[in-house]
Formats: sequence, C-alpha cells, structure tokens
Amino acid sequence: MDWKRFGFIALIITILIGTVVYVGQTRQTPLLIITSMLATTIAVATPLTLGALSGVYCERAGVVNIGIEGMMLTAAFFGWLGGIYMFQIYGLSAGISITLGVFFAIITGGLMALLHAALSITFKVDQIIGGTVINILAVGLTGFLNRQLFFGKGSVFGGTVPSSPGVLPTIHVPITELFAPLCGTSAVCLENVQAINRVFDQKPIAIAAILLVFISHYILFNTRWGLRTRAVGEHPRAADTVGINVIKMRYANVVIGGMFAGLAGAYFTIESVPSFEPLLTNGRGFISLAAMIFGNWTPIGAWAAALVFGASQALLINMQIFRDVIPPQLSFLQESYIVGLTPYILTMIILTGIIGRTTPPAADGVAYEK
Amino acid sequence: MQSEKQSISRGKKILQSILDATLVPFLAIFTAVVIGGVIIKMVGGNPFEAYMGLIEGSLGSKKALSETAIWATPYIFAGLAVALGFKGGLFNIGAEGQLAVGAVFSALIGYALPQWLGYDLPAIVHIPLAVLFGMLMGGLWAGIVGALKAYTGGHEVINTIMMNYIALNTTSFLLNGIMKDPSPTNVIARTPLIAESARIPPIFDGLRVHWGFVLALLIAFLVWWVLNKTTLGFEIRTVGLNPDAAKYAGINVKRTIILTMALSGMLAGLAGSIEVTGLNYRHELGFSIGYGYDAIAIALLGKSHPLGVVLAAFLFAAMRNGATRMQFLTQLPVDLISMLQALILLFVAADAIVRYIYRIKSRGERVVLTRGWGG
Amino acid sequence: MKKLYFVMALLIVASMILAACGAPATEAPAAGATEAPVAAATEAPVAEVTLDDCVKEEVFCVGLVTDVGKVNDKSFNQSAWEGVQQSQVDGAADLVQFIETADAKDYAKNIATFGDAGFDVVVTVGFGLGEATLAAGVTYPDVKFIGVDQFQAWQFTEDTADDSANVTGLNFPEDQAGFLVGALAAMMSESHVIGAVCGTDVVPPVWRYGEGYKAGALYADGMNSTTTEVQVVYHSDVGFDKTFTDPEWGAQTAKAMMDNGADAVFGCGGLTGNGAITAAAQAGKYAIGVDADQYLTLPEAAPQMLSSAMKLIVPGVAELVAQAKDGSIAAGNYTGSAGYAPYHDLEGAVSDEVKAAMEEINAGLLDASITPGVAPAKP
Repeated sequence: MDWKRFGFIALIITILIGTVVYVGQTRQTPLLIITSMLATTIAVATPLTLGALSGVYCERAGVVNIGIEGMMLTAAFFGWLGGIYMFQIYGLSAGISITLGVFFAIITGGLMALLHAALSITFKVDQIIGGTVINILAVGLTGFLNRQLFFGKGSVFGGTVPSSPGVLPTIHVPITELFAPLCGTSAVCLENVQAINRVFDQKPIAIAAILLVFISHYILFNTRWGLRTRAVGEHPRAADTVGINVIKMRYANVVIGGMFAGLAGAYFTIESVPSFEPLLTNGRGFISLAAMIFGNWTPIGAWAAALVFGASQALLINMQIFRDVIPPQLSFLQESYIVGLTPYILTMIILTGIIGRTTPPAADGVAYEK
Repeated sequence: MQSEKQSISRGKKILQSILDATLVPFLAIFTAVVIGGVIIKMVGGNPFEAYMGLIEGSLGSKKALSETAIWATPYIFAGLAVALGFKGGLFNIGAEGQLAVGAVFSALIGYALPQWLGYDLPAIVHIPLAVLFGMLMGGLWAGIVGALKAYTGGHEVINTIMMNYIALNTTSFLLNGIMKDPSPTNVIARTPLIAESARIPPIFDGLRVHWGFVLALLIAFLVWWVLNKTTLGFEIRTVGLNPDAAKYAGINVKRTIILTMALSGMLAGLAGSIEVTGLNYRHELGFSIGYGYDAIAIALLGKSHPLGVVLAAFLFAAMRNGATRMQFLTQLPVDLISMLQALILLFVAADAIVRYIYRIKSRGERVVLTRGWGG
Repeated sequence: MKKLYFVMALLIVASMILAACGAPATEAPAAGATEAPVAAATEAPVAEVTLDDCVKEEVFCVGLVTDVGKVNDKSFNQSAWEGVQQSQVDGAADLVQFIETADAKDYAKNIATFGDAGFDVVVTVGFGLGEATLAAGVTYPDVKFIGVDQFQAWQFTEDTADDSANVTGLNFPEDQAGFLVGALAAMMSESHVIGAVCGTDVVPPVWRYGEGYKAGALYADGMNSTTTEVQVVYHSDVGFDKTFTDPEWGAQTAKAMMDNGADAVFGCGGLTGNGAITAAAQAGKYAIGVDADQYLTLPEAAPQMLSSAMKLIVPGVAELVAQAKDGSIAAGNYTGSAGYAPYHDLEGAVSDEVKAAMEEINAGLLDASITPGVAPAKP
C-alpha cells in the first residue's frame, strides 16, 4: 500500500469537508454537514470510480484507454434508449425495462471497447489516437441518433421524446431502524442516526461501484487472471514465452474495462436522471482517467482519487448553498472558478511525481508484435 | 547509365509516395461518405440531397467559398498545431485551451490597448500586436505542459486535457469579470468589440473572408519550411522519432520538447487570435468551441504534413460550412457532420482497415505518433 | 488494384440497393439514378408548398434559427420552434423551416440562408443572435425578424432607428414568473427552507428567474410573517456550453439542498434544472418546473410537480408571426406573458388560502402594484 498517497488524499478530503463544516456551522450541525458532504461525494464519485476502474483494467493489460469518455457517453445513450424501447415499444414493465437498460449500457460499453481493442491490438493503431476516435465517434453517433430517432421524419415516437421508464431506486440500508432504539427518547440522537443513515442510502450502481473497487483489487492482485493481466501489461514478451496468450488477455481486459465504462454511462441516464442529453458526460471520462493515474493504476487508489474529485464537487455545491454565511476571509471560495480548478491542478501536481511517483505498467500503450 | 536509372526510379518513387499518401485518405473519405449515406437512408433522409446540399453550401457560390475559407482559417492553424506536436512526438490535445487563451488575450490587446495608452494606434502596429500577444500566450500555455513533460515526465496528454479545463474556467472567469463588455445593453459574457485598428480587413468587399486566411496558408508553408529545411525542424523530428537517439546525437531533448510544445501552442493561439481579429472582433464564451478537437482529426487526416493539413482543413471546413445548406434543404441534423468526420477519422487512423477492405499493401514504415504514459 | 475497383463498384452498388430498399414505394424506381426525380418525389406531392415557392409574394414562409442548440432541447429553442409550427397550424405560415446553429460564427450565414431564399419572417432564438439579427435587418429590409430573448435597445440611438425597423424583440418577465413560484414554494414549505437549481447566472433570464424566486419567497414571508431560507444555486463552474446540459449536477445539487432541509426545489436552466426537478420529485419533495408547464414535459416528475414558472414562448412567437403576416407587427420590444402552471396532481395539497394568495399576487404583478425589483441582469 502506498500510504503516502492515501495520506495525501485523506488530508485533501478532510480539508474540503472541514472547510464546509467551518463555513456552515452557524446554520447546520457538523454531523449533518459531514454526512451530507459524504453522501454527495460518494454519488458524484460513482461514474468517476467506474471510469477509473475501466482505465485500470485496460492499462494494466497494456492498452491505454483515453476513450472512456466516449464509451460512457455511448453507453449512457444506448442504455437509456434500450430502456425506452423496452418500456414504450415492447411494453415491458418499468422495473424490467430499467434493468435491461443497465444491461444494454454495459453491453454498449463492451462493444465500444471491442472497437478500441480491435483498433489498438489487431490493427495496431496508436492507442491514444484509437481512444480519440472513440470519443469523437461517440459524440457524433449519439448526437445524431438522439436527434434523428426522436425528432426526424418517420420517428416511431412521433416527434417527441417519450418518457423513459424512470431511474433505479435508492436502496435503504436500515441503520435508523437498527439503532433508533438505542436513542430512546432523544430527538437529537435520532436525527443524528438518520443523518448517518443518509450516507449509506445510495443507489444500486453507486453501491456496486464501491463493491467492484474491492473485487477488482482482489482480482488484479490475488488471482491468476490478475497476475496474467499484469504480466501482459508489464512484460508481454515474457508472458508470451510462458504461454500466456497476450492478444487474448488484452482483448478480454479491454472489453471488461469497456463494460465498466458502460456501467458508468448507465449511472447518468438510468440511475441519476432519466434523460439523455448530447455531451452529458461533460468530460467526466477524462477526470476518471486522471483519477486512475492519481491512484497509481490500482483500483483502491483510483477510488480514493475519485472521492477527492467528488468531495471538491460537493464543496462547490455546498459553498453556494451557504453563500449567505460565508465569512469574508473565505469569500473567495464562492468563486466557483477557484475551487473548480482544484481537481485539475491537483492532477497536474500528482503527475509531476512530487507525491510519490506514478508508475504506469511498463508496456502500457505499446502494441504487441510477435 | 546508373544515375539515369536512379533518377527514373526516384521519379517513380516520388509518384508512388504521392499516390501512397493520398490514396488511403481518399478511400477513407469515400468509405465514410458511403457509410454516412447508408445511415442517412436508414433514418429516412435522402443522402443525395444531403450531399448536394453540403457541396452547394460549401462550394456553390462566391459567398459559400468565402465562408468555407473562413471556416478553414482556424482549422489550418489548429491542425498545424497538432501536426507539429505529432512531428515532435507530442500529442497536443490542448489546442482547444490554447486557442481560447489566444483569443482572450488578443481581444484584450484589441480593445484595451488604446485605452491604456490613451491614443489610437495605427492598424499596422495594432493588428500585429494583438495577434502576436494572443499567439505568445497560447505558446506559454502549452509551454508549461512542455516543461512539465521535459522536467518531471508528466504526460502531455493528461496535462493538456487538464489545461483545457483550466483555460475554459479562466476564460469564463475573465469574461464574466474584468473583461466583460461594460455596455449597458450587454448581458452575456463577452469582451467589448476590439478597436477598428485591430481588425484584420476582409480581402474582398462584401465577403467575410479576411487576410487571416492568407496568413494561414503562409504559416502552413512556414511550418513546412521549418520542419524540413532548418536545424530546429531536424531536431524536432529526431526527438519525435527517437528521443534516445536524439540525445546521443547531442540534441538537447528537454529544450526541444519544450520548444515543440510552445510552438504548437503558438499555432493554436494564432487560431484564436485570428478568429478574434479577423472575424468576430471580440471574444465570447461559447465561441470557437471544439476546434481543438477537430484539429486532431485534421492533423491525422493530413498525415501531419502541412500541405495535408491545409487540404484536410478545407475538407472539414467545407463540411461544417455546407451543413447550413444541407439542413435547410433536408432538415437533417448537423450532428450528421460530426458523425461523418468521426468515420473519416476512424478510417484514416485505422488505415489498416481501409487497406484491408481495398487490398492495398502497406508501404513505408509506421509513423510513431505518440507513446504510452511513460514518455 | 483490380480488386480495389471491384470493391469500390461493389460498395456503390450496395449503397444504391440500400437507397432503393429504404425508400418509400413512390420513389423506388427513381432512387439512385439521379437526384432530381428523388427530390421531386419527396418534396412535391400535389399542391404542397416547396422551398422554391418562398420567393413568391403570396407564399408566406417562416424560418427559425436556433442559438447553438437543438430544436428538441425541451427548452426555449424547442418552444420557439413549436411557436413557429403553431403559426403554420393557425394558417399564418405556409411553410416553416429551421436551421440549427452549430457554431456562433454561422449566425449571420444561417439567417442569410433564409433571407436569400425569400422567407418572409425569420425567428432568431437567444440573446447571442441579437447583433447578427440587427445586421440582417439592414441587409434584408423586406424580411421581418423576431428575436426571442433579444432586448432591442435601438430606440436609444436615433441613427439606427430606421435601420432596425423590421426587428422585433420578444422578451419575457422571467422575474415575475420566478416571483410567483417563489411565493408559492415559500407558502407550501413546511421546513421553511426552499431551493432553486439554475443554469449560469450569466444568462439574464436565468438570473431573473432565480432572483425573482428569492423576491417572491420574501414577499410571501411578509404576507404570512414567516421566515423562509432560500437557497439559489447557479451552475457557473463549467464551460458555458455545459451549464444548461448537466442534469447529473442538477440532481446532486438538489439532493444536497434537500439534505439541508429544503422541501421545495425550483429547477431553472434547461436540463440542469430538469435533473434537479426529477431528483426532488423522487425524494417526495415539491418540484417546480420552468419555462413551460413541465408537468407535461417531465412525466417522471409529474406526481410531485407543484407548478412551473412559465414564460409563454409558443403563443408569443405565434402571435408575432401572425402580426407579421397582417402587417401590424411593431419594431422594438414585445413583452410576452409570464405566469405559473396549474397544480395538476397536487391540486388537493394546495390549500384554498394559498390558491387565493397566488391569484392575488399574480393580479398584483399584472397591474404592477407588485414589482419583483430584480435587475434585468446580474450586476
């Protein structure tokens, strides 16, 4: 474990949350602010975490993936579209349509990744350019279809965007029910328990993302598959000589990575809000990439980094909410401009190697030639 | 005898190389157009009408040609910026941000310099000042990334992406704050109009195409000349091909990386400067969005060769410009253009696919454009 | 090489076959041969007006140029386009057509495309097109221009007065609409904390909505001697083109507000606002829509949709097109109407006192006895 890095990350998150607690103390109890911040942080970090995991799988196998953004966007669109088709055209129930939508998103992510894999592994296209192709293609494809399918002449939906089957429900973790009796009659205590409960009441993809972080960490570092994956990413030639099929391993991992990006896409249109908008991923795929590097190509590290980005977003939101009570010496924090830059500048600092060197897999970005 | 043979074979070689360089892009475009047509048909449009609209709207009249040239101008600059980076082994995804920075600072010199000085400048001084300042700021913006790459190994792809966000945030901050047009009727984030003396005049009366377009062509030639005829160009290309070899050859690799990035940024900055001084006469949030990303496709399509970039820029410009006419005639969405461009890029980048479809043998070596994160 | 030509030929043939198969039966024989018959087949069923007819005096054509955005943005571009379509249904326009602007530098060209084609009215949407519209007004003196959200300041400078006599700005008192729903939210809130999630405050209508909302809540407090905390958040920390299209951010911001006790959320600002509205509805809090009656456009939030701050773009545009046709249109500014949408599903939840108070406030705003006191744009 890279404790220096985790310490740094924990420090930043603490500073971010502490600032909000300090600013909002006249209006809210610290516990309420902290739990609210954490809940927002986890939710905002979800697509970033999944995107970063996508990157980890691809790059651990030796394929640079800057097409995460495009994979997310395409998956968000087709997952949402699939849900609508199931719901409106095939008349399935909302619940089933939503679930199928998530699967469509994952498959779409996998297919886009397959294209990336074909480009970079089989056709040996420069991997960064392959990713750029994916990103540009995603924007054109989703923008065009979104317009034409719903608005064009002969649209099955008659010129309007039909209502989607909705979004995934929040999963309630019964902490309040379990601990409320301990509070007895104290209303403050009950309020606090409810506040803590709020952090854990997340939606399915958010919860899945966290589980997948640990599962991925286990797979990558404690299983045969993980060992092989890392081998083809570090020393493909050596891996080849001991009988590992480099091409196959790379294909598999890139496609798995794409499915993670697909799940991240589903977060936008199936978990968060039930609508699609051109460019709705808003560069979060690139932030994921930064989180992956920030986390030194490990799932847990990438998650921690995603939480930093999530927390800085949560700070921004809360600063605006507490606008009226910000003390003058901190008033610069209202300028979303300054706080908004934090994740980007942090990423650049991390890349300089001041806080521990980031070391990519040795064969990352190099096509394997037999 | 032998020399004669050699010269014949050299002539053949040149012909062959020209054919080689143009055949694949041409087939890539052709394939993309066919697939695009099929897609248009599938969604209930009329591909022939759509393509006719595109051609009419981009080449059909003097006005259309002028507008195509207007579109091509920033594309040529930004495309050259990315292409120069590729030549030096650097992937500059940051043209978008450098362009915005160039535009903002050009606009600043354009409207504020006369106020600071208290007197009007002649155009012959004011225009170059505005353009050069924007260009230099673009260069500085990219130079930071170059320096980070040279001294810390921070990868330019991530850093330029981050710098894009920082540039957009900074632009937004400036345009909403100290640089906001103070006139009472203005309600959006934009600078005041630049002074008349800072405006690049149009070439023809009644058409919008301006001398910046000519400058773009000149700069393209200049880039070609620098890359192929000067020591600096040789160093850039050598570092791009093999930094280790360059080091042994006594080239200052760090300096060359920083310089390449800065030059690339200056070209991208120029794209922004010329848009402000030649066309928009101000900068506004939302102007020139996406040119930096189109530029990547243009550089790839042009095989990073300045002449190729100019041609590719024209193609993209014609498509963007013709889109209006296409929409007007068919009511098909503009996004169609993005999709066509993505398909073209796909087939150009993955020329192996095109070679496979049309059974063309690959000649020459693979050009290394970028390297993994390690640098 | 031979193979190459073969494949090319194959591709061309394939594309033609596809073209033929996909085409409607009427044009199947012509498809692929030349483009002229195809165009004739699709565009000229009996007595239908085509683009070429727009130059004729008796054919009334209306064109619409969007801001950088789409005609299906569920927001002002779409409403304006629906207004234009409405004018066709009403019989004012014979042919309507739109061009979506992909880049700001195309404003002038897109407007000119309609002007050159002999259109009689060109509707341009959004403040960004203001200057290009005025310029086009000079180039095309016979065309009437309607600028949605474009405040016309020309009357202040005498020299330009004549030039712009064919440009009419259509503006809306968004502050009044915001004021209405602000008052409503304050009266309905049980926690006395209400919120608004908006696009960037750089855009004046958004600013007017947000600040009007605050003012309305304050006014309701004054009426009922309550104290309501109003949280208005503008999305300004991203590129300009993203501030209205970030539903995920809207949803997260709304959630953070509700965590802070808000029980009514006003989403103002395109899809960003829609994200907030949906999140509020899912949490079982009051959701308040914007621009149109969003009970109809956001079905997923409908059960919790308290009301919407409306600016009536569709009737406003249709009305101006009709005026342009009969020649009564006046240059300068035309103020459309604002209002609040019906309570729909929550009809029963709103008490009669609140309903009465809302009608009173609305009447007060209309006769100007109540003024929101909001600056036209962020100072």
